[in-house]
Amino acid sequence: MATAPDVLFNLRNNFYLGAYQAAINNNDVPNLSEEDAIERDCLVYRSYIALGSYQLVINEVDSSAATPLQAVKLLALYLFSPDSKENTISSIREWLGDAAIGNNPILRLIAGTIFMHEQDYNEALKYTNAGGTMELYALNVHIFLKMNRSDYAEKQLRVMQQIDEDHTLTQLATAWLNLAVGGSKIQEAYLIFQDFSEKYQMTSLILNGKAVCCMHMGNFDEAESFLLEALNKDAKDQETLANLVVCSLHLGKPSARFLSQLKLSDPEHVLVKRGLTAEENFDRAMQTVG
Amino acid sequence: MLTKFETKSNRVKGLSFHSKRPWILASLHSGVIQLWDYRMGTLIDRFDEHDGPVRGVHFHQSQPLFVSGGDDYKIKIWRMNDTKAWEVDTLRGHMNNVSCVLFHARQDIIVSNSEDKSIRVWDATKRTGLQTFRREHDRFWILGCHPEMNLLAAGHDSGMIVFKLERERPAFSVSGDSLYFVKDRFLRFYDYTSQKDTQILPIRRPGSISLNQGPRTLCYSPTENAILICSDVDGGSYELYIIPKDSITRGDTVQEAKRGVGGSAVFVARNRFAVLEKSTNQVLVKNLKNEIVKKSALPVAADAIFYAGTGNLLCRAEDRVFIFDLQQRLVLGDLQTSFVRYVVWSSDMESVALLSKHSIIIADKKLVHRCTLHETIRVKSGSWDDNGVFIYTTLTHIKYCLPNGDSGIIKTLDVPVYITKIFGNTLFYLDRDGKNRPIVIDSTEYVFKLSLLKKRFDHVMSMIRNSELCGQAMIAYLQQKGFPEVALHFVKDERTRFNLALESGNIQIAVASAKEIDEKDHWYRLGVEALRQGNSGIVEYAYQRTKNFERLSFLYLITGNLDKLSKMMKISEVKNDVMGQFHNALYLGDVQERIKILVNAGHLHLAYATAKTHGLNDIVEDLADKLNGSVPNLPSGRSSSLLICPTPVLCGGDWPLLRTMKGIFEGGLDNAGKGGNEEYEDAADADWGEELDIVDVENIQNGDISMVPDDEEAHEDNEEGGWDLEDLELPPDVETPKAATSRSSVFVAPTAGMPVSQIWVQKSSLAAEHAAAGNFDTAMRLLSRQLGIKNFTPLKSLFIDLHMGSHSYLRAFSSAPLISLAIERGWSESASPNVRAPPALVFSFSQLEEKLKAGYKATTTGKFTEALRLFLSILHTIPLIVVESRREVDEVKELIIIVKEYVLGLQMELKRRELRDNPVRQQELAAYFTHCNLQLPHLRLALMNAMTVCYKAGNLITASNFARRLLETNPTAENQTKTARSVMQAAERNMKDSTQLNYDFRNPFVVCGATYVPIYRGQKDVLCPGRIRCFRLTVFSSSDQMIHKSFLQSYQSQFFSLNVSGFRSRVEDFCLVADVLCCYIREPITLNCRLDFGYEFSFWRFDIQIFVFLEFVEIWCRLKTVTVVWHSQSGVGL
Repeated sequence: MATAPDVLFNLRNNFYLGAYQAAINNNDVPNLSEEDAIERDCLVYRSYIALGSYQLVINEVDSSAATPLQAVKLLALYLFSPDSKENTISSIREWLGDAAIGNNPILRLIAGTIFMHEQDYNEALKYTNAGGTMELYALNVHIFLKMNRSDYAEKQLRVMQQIDEDHTLTQLATAWLNLAVGGSKIQEAYLIFQDFSEKYQMTSLILNGKAVCCMHMGNFDEAESFLLEALNKDAKDQETLANLVVCSLHLGKPSARFLSQLKLSDPEHVLVKRGLTAEENFDRAMQTVG
Repeated sequence: MLTKFETKSNRVKGLSFHSKRPWILASLHSGVIQLWDYRMGTLIDRFDEHDGPVRGVHFHQSQPLFVSGGDDYKIKIWRMNDTKAWEVDTLRGHMNNVSCVLFHARQDIIVSNSEDKSIRVWDATKRTGLQTFRREHDRFWILGCHPEMNLLAAGHDSGMIVFKLERERPAFSVSGDSLYFVKDRFLRFYDYTSQKDTQILPIRRPGSISLNQGPRTLCYSPTENAILICSDVDGGSYELYIIPKDSITRGDTVQEAKRGVGGSAVFVARNRFAVLEKSTNQVLVKNLKNEIVKKSALPVAADAIFYAGTGNLLCRAEDRVFIFDLQQRLVLGDLQTSFVRYVVWSSDMESVALLSKHSIIIADKKLVHRCTLHETIRVKSGSWDDNGVFIYTTLTHIKYCLPNGDSGIIKTLDVPVYITKIFGNTLFYLDRDGKNRPIVIDSTEYVFKLSLLKKRFDHVMSMIRNSELCGQAMIAYLQQKGFPEVALHFVKDERTRFNLALESGNIQIAVASAKEIDEKDHWYRLGVEALRQGNSGIVEYAYQRTKNFERLSFLYLITGNLDKLSKMMKISEVKNDVMGQFHNALYLGDVQERIKILVNAGHLHLAYATAKTHGLNDIVEDLADKLNGSVPNLPSGRSSSLLICPTPVLCGGDWPLLRTMKGIFEGGLDNAGKGGNEEYEDAADADWGEELDIVDVENIQNGDISMVPDDEEAHEDNEEGGWDLEDLELPPDVETPKAATSRSSVFVAPTAGMPVSQIWVQKSSLAAEHAAAGNFDTAMRLLSRQLGIKNFTPLKSLFIDLHMGSHSYLRAFSSAPLISLAIERGWSESASPNVRAPPALVFSFSQLEEKLKAGYKATTTGKFTEALRLFLSILHTIPLIVVESRREVDEVKELIIIVKEYVLGLQMELKRRELRDNPVRQQELAAYFTHCNLQLPHLRLALMNAMTVCYKAGNLITASNFARRLLETNPTAENQTKTARSVMQAAERNMKDSTQLNYDFRNPFVVCGATYVPIYRGQKDVLCPGRIRCFRLTVFSSSDQMIHKSFLQSYQSQFFSLNVSGFRSRVEDFCLVADVLCCYIREPITLNCRLDFGYEFSFWRFDIQIFVFLEFVEIWCRLKTVTVVWHSQSGVGL
């Protein structure tokens, strides 16, 4: 039973719900303990990373910074320069092997994230499966969902629910899982995003969440309105664009413009890649079948 | 005194009339109770059961009962009939003489009091003690009971009390347009719009162990349809009910509610409620299963919690309330208050009213204090109206409270009511009997005051104009609130007007009023105000009117108006005002004048001193003479300094005013105008935004149309077919490996599960679903096998769209890769999770219907290329459409038939337009076009077209045939009829055809889809000029219904079958496919047909399998009388 005020609550919440700029703007929390200050900095830098400002993080975090911040910097490096991925990965492995810092939750979290990008889920889980923080559990849920193992994800979620069922990450992870398992659970996921939208600042993450729920419930018109609202908030949000492409396809509306916007904004996006591989597959299949 | 009846006995201590009969009870000091008939004057009965004096005796209002209480500390209950009475029971408990005892007027209870300093309440039926109220020092002597209301009174050694035993306020909760409340032992629902009151469900009746155990508060969660009811049972407890979906249970069975103990319980989120555990000062957050989700300690001891927005609680501590954020565990705001009984939030949750017994505190959502109202009469309830005015009730009044704390009475009340909701002027309340009633209140006063407060002067003005608001109270209010300029417009009385004008600094109106009044005092006050404003003109005017010369002079002095000052001096002279004259001279610095005045006034010494000081030696000597040497002794050795006239502060005119005062009307109008404009501008902005959106949408739509041409023309067969989904209903969860159950300490990462798309691939036999899953080669194989499609190029974009539309994207954990989620088809609320449904496909039948409409439209407007493209794209898409019912299968078939006709017709028409130099062929094609099955308007156009072409080419007979057919359609267009008639007339005059056409309209025919030549009924063989891969299967042409039908009759569906999308189609389906194939004849096509006896024929692909085909046709022909007409360049005929 906690009694002390949770001073970083808002900051964390903003970060989890994708209100990255709000997290950055409102990071000035007075009277932070040293530990809290590091967490605060981590959240702020991770927000910058989420916004794509990798260089800023790389420049600002110097070698004297605390381990968690260094870990965050590694993530920035990893995402910033795909060419030096190998270096980044080898340094993170090195740090993880260091008994003094290897168990740092942020370091493990970042490691998990990076190995997820490498699609090496086993390696990711090696560092994250032990959990320890809500973020790590949530990342585990994410990893298991990527592996199509909703049974494992559900187990992780139960752990989170036991710790704090109303935690924003618990709620979010519940929504992820609900969406992944589908069926009647999609409504519950929708209600979770709906609760967020009533309670907190509306972000494109929340709007996309609602839109995805709508799409899965077959309600593409409503999904489109959420997505257009999200697009108004951020015309370059990749997730919004990708979902708009999908949604427009289902509505029989042209999707080409959204797709080309997405290609400009993120040529590596899953949907873009999906389109490209599909073309290749089609041509190959034509040859085999024909 | 008119004595009706009298008895004799020892000290009568208690009396009670029977309510209906002529009976009276008398209790005596001796312990005897007598029952008298005072009309007959007879003693009906006497009862001697008490030991010692009986002081209290009381008849029941309606039942044949009475009670008595005596100095034996006992209370006895008696029952009687017409002839006798007998003791039923004795209530023991009082520790001293019972002073008084009576039945409660409204409840089935007995109330007694005693010299033991207690009041006791007893259950009259069960005859058990319910509750005891004690006083420290006062013995009770007497009780009184209100005949109608729920009120009792008791007299004791040092005074009396009036009290009631049970709360009468119904527990209620407002949610949107409805109210949930408890009446008796039912939860009820009241709809404000329809004003209907419905019983929802019975709730648990409190075991009537003691009083006041009924529901105290009620809390409702709309999303979950859950109700929390709190009561004082067990020292504070709650019950959680879920309202069933069908909502109304008429039954009497009480739902097994979830219960718990706690000071108070409120919902803090859709599916969470908080319970106060007073003993530990913790808040327990629970879910709807009544399980504890979280515990949170409160920083200050609280004795009650209230809702304060999602996740927040308003907690009541001893001398304060505070808002506690359960997630941040942070106090968001606190406020010193007296004991708060009720908390009422405004609908936007921005303001809260805290109701105490005698005060109301209005605060914002962070509990920043806005205002406090004190009431001498108890505050009962309240609600916020739409404008942010708090409307509340006391015992006797309905009142309002504005955001600034101003309050006033709206209406007087006879009985207390509990406001639940306000819509405009209509206020809804619950009365003490649990009835909902609307009441219309006059909101004018508070709306007016609110408008003033919010500076909505436009509203203020319109209200001033339209309503009768005047009154001293309103003027006083306006003055007090600093709106004298508003009050000005209410007032006719000049003095009040003058005062208000001065207060609001409106000089013009003040001057006008002053002129009317024309009193010195008013002019003076006007002058003072004008001076304050620096309006020297008015000051001067006011001084002049009051003839206040001194002030006037001084005014001229300070404004530097020396001309007028010298005039003033002259006036003084004329008026013989020496002092005034002197002052003016002094102001003007006119020394000689001063001396003159002094001399005239006889002050020669002073005159001498003045002259001397100013060095006017001539005059000095003069004066010295006059003084005869007794000149004053002026101080010597000092240099004299002159009195310098003050420099004017500003020369002449009015002082510049920074702000000009305008009347409220002007200002108000301006403000209103501006405000309005701003609002308009805002609105305009909003509209712009909207419009942009609309533009976007339009672009999209436009794009849509322009996109269509991008689709390359393709040809594949369409199939018709029913999609049978049965094959998808596979047992769930087969593919997903179960989590390892072993709990080894070493973590072993699970193997990856199967992506949903792979499950789709495994389960599906539909090409479209395989395409959606990205499994293109299977999709192609399926199409190839089921429909014989060979060329997939036109399907490329369709395949890719299906695949791209099969997943949505969810950003889960920040900076981690996205989660792709498979979108499934046919979602329903009751769908089980973890059971994979087939993929949602981006193409739907309804989209095709839209395209069909667009195709019709393009045809009508003559955009044939466009129309053809649309119709072809429909045919391309059909193989990838999945339908769910037989009806839809039929619709798809119908669509194919329609589209096929159009494709053929349009192709011929386009071909015709290419052949400018071949008039014969042109005519033929135009003629064939009219034999396509078209919509009537299109058919008319085709006929017009053919008629025109043939007429121009001199083929009058043919042309007149088209004209006749055209007239048979009863064309609506005047010119069509006219032209057709004239063509027929021309043909009658000249019955001949100038050229020979391959067109015999008397003989039924179908048109070859590749070569556009007619194949007449009965014709065995047609030679197709110079085309490869040309063939047709006319038997199956839908236009040759007769053969078709006979074929079907002869060979039932078990003979031929075609496997289309998992659905065994019948021969007719196969025929349809064949028909459509004719439209794509230019591409190599295979159509596989499986005969039921196990043979699988690739029954045509010209180049290779021609002989297989021939064999097939041979079997066919041998079987029956049908004629198969086909042809190829190879010349192989049958």
